[in-house]
Amino acid sequence: MLYAMSPELLAYPFLFIATFFESFILVTLLSAPARKARERPSVDTADLATLPSVAIIVPCWNEAATVGATCNSLLALDYPKEKLEIILINDGSTDATPKIMTHLAKHPQVRIIHKKNGGKHTALNAGIAATEAEFIGCLDADSFVEPDALKEIIPSFTDARVAAVTAAMSVHRPANILQHMQNAEYIFGITLRHSIATVNGLYVTPGPFSFYRHTVVRELGGFRYGNQTEDMEMALRIQQAGYYIENAPHARVYTSAPSTLPRLVKQRTRWTSGFLRNVLGEYRGLIGNRRHGALGILMLPTALLSIGSGLLLFFLMLYQFTDRALEALAVRAGIPLSYSLLPHGSFDWFYFPASFYFLLGSATLLAMFALIAIGKRISKTPGDLKTGVLAYTLLYIFIVPLWLLRSTTDVAFGIRRNWR
Amino acid sequence: MSLAARNAFIALGITIALVATVAYAVNYLNRARIAELSTIEDQLSIDTLSLDTQFTLLEGAPCDSVASSTTLTDKLADMGNRLSFAESQLGSDTPQVIRLKQQYSLLEIRDYLINKKVSVACGTKPVTVLYFYSNAAECDDCDKAGYALSYLHDTYPALRVYSFDYNLELGALQTLIAVEKVKNTLPAFVINGKNYYGFTSLVDLEKQFPKGALATSTPTP
Repeated sequence: MLYAMSPELLAYPFLFIATFFESFILVTLLSAPARKARERPSVDTADLATLPSVAIIVPCWNEAATVGATCNSLLALDYPKEKLEIILINDGSTDATPKIMTHLAKHPQVRIIHKKNGGKHTALNAGIAATEAEFIGCLDADSFVEPDALKEIIPSFTDARVAAVTAAMSVHRPANILQHMQNAEYIFGITLRHSIATVNGLYVTPGPFSFYRHTVVRELGGFRYGNQTEDMEMALRIQQAGYYIENAPHARVYTSAPSTLPRLVKQRTRWTSGFLRNVLGEYRGLIGNRRHGALGILMLPTALLSIGSGLLLFFLMLYQFTDRALEALAVRAGIPLSYSLLPHGSFDWFYFPASFYFLLGSATLLAMFALIAIGKRISKTPGDLKTGVLAYTLLYIFIVPLWLLRSTTDVAFGIRRNWR
Repeated sequence: MSLAARNAFIALGITIALVATVAYAVNYLNRARIAELSTIEDQLSIDTLSLDTQFTLLEGAPCDSVASSTTLTDKLADMGNRLSFAESQLGSDTPQVIRLKQQYSLLEIRDYLINKKVSVACGTKPVTVLYFYSNAAECDDCDKAGYALSYLHDTYPALRVYSFDYNLELGALQTLIAVEKVKNTLPAFVINGKNYYGFTSLVDLEKQFPKGALATSTPTP
């Protein structure tokens, strides 16, 4: 008797799952392994003999605007020069990137590799092939790191089973409302990533400042195209091989976020369709697989469900909004606007809309605010988050369906889009 | 047990506890609403009975009671709004809501009768509307009619509007329906004793009022 049900009832299971997921994140954050990870001291750079060698690869395709600053932030890393090399890969750029790279080559730590355009994964592989460093870091050419970020990353590799370590990402100098919104989302992501890493449930090692154990990357055969999400594909392959992906919540990296809606939708469509193609394709076996613990049983099913529920809740919201708006218009037809446009009633507790949906939704929202605040505190990310949190709360829900719809239809109809 | 499994169980426990707390809070608030409605109704019942008794004692309607009867009608209107909200939150077939609606309808009828007495004894000419609606799907225009009457009442506070659920099982209400000869064609209006059925627009509804009746009421600025 679905027709007789309130549409709100359809949202309850998803609201329950969202509450469960947030509770899981909070409980895991409080667990001893997460506390231990947060208290892990940064590496002592004075002990040169035991300090591992590191190569950071910066793949560049037409990144003239930012590659200089990105490279300079790497040069400012607090890590012995003889143990750190920076490899800039010019992946067939057609702008001033090669010229800027030539200028940067004067630094003895910096190596430049020019190659024909082949995509980000080929650029990363060219860098991996050119180094013998123990750990390999990747940094998108539009991202910038804190000087102590690398020192925070290295201790996470203490366990030999750890194949990759992710950093704490936030938005570089958010300027408009859309970037502030993404900043709050990224800081929320810091908490999620830190908590999920504690149970080895990460399925993406983002482009900005993720590190890999060289031997494992070599064993796994380097980066692949991965449906335009080579970082996600690599993370899934690492997980499939039985290795761990760790997180260093104090290693701060700032990335440039899309400043316009079309660019944001394009970026997120690439991420979401890449996720769907990878997870429902080659890595389907991970879903629900108990051997892969939290990743198989909890993270991948929840991520898939969040795409489905995002779409369902959007259509539900659209239906309810349209239905109520039409009803309100019909009821108010012919009544003077001076009356019908104004709210009527009194501010009395009696009229407080305390429905189950409203109260549980509010609890979920409050937990989200708490998780954002925790992410900011753990990572010590600077900046004011009020605008970001407000924009994230009010705007995000209306923007997400745009890329969810686009990516799911792209996957369903086999549509492939350009990277930029 | 792995860390993930242990945390998942704890998280499930927290979620169930939270859902149960929310369910309890919703239930508690709804019960508090019902309790407040009962309290207001009890008070209104005493006020109505007091006014009624006052008239009987004086063997006629004391004209200085016009103000108190108006206050009573306003309180009744507020009670109506609250009851309508509670009905939308709890559902129209909830036993407590039905009981409160029966009591409310009874109070409305008594208030209507008192005001009738006052107008006869004191020579006032109030504009009174008995409005009959139904929550059932067959009355598509009831919401529109209700909103239009709210507009008229808010604009002309002297206008007295009494709303009744046509299908409510209450002897006094069914008697009123029979006395006023209201047919089951909803929405139905009895405007100063004259029956009118259906709702097309505010303008058409206004035409049913006695000439100048709304104009002589006190419009709000």
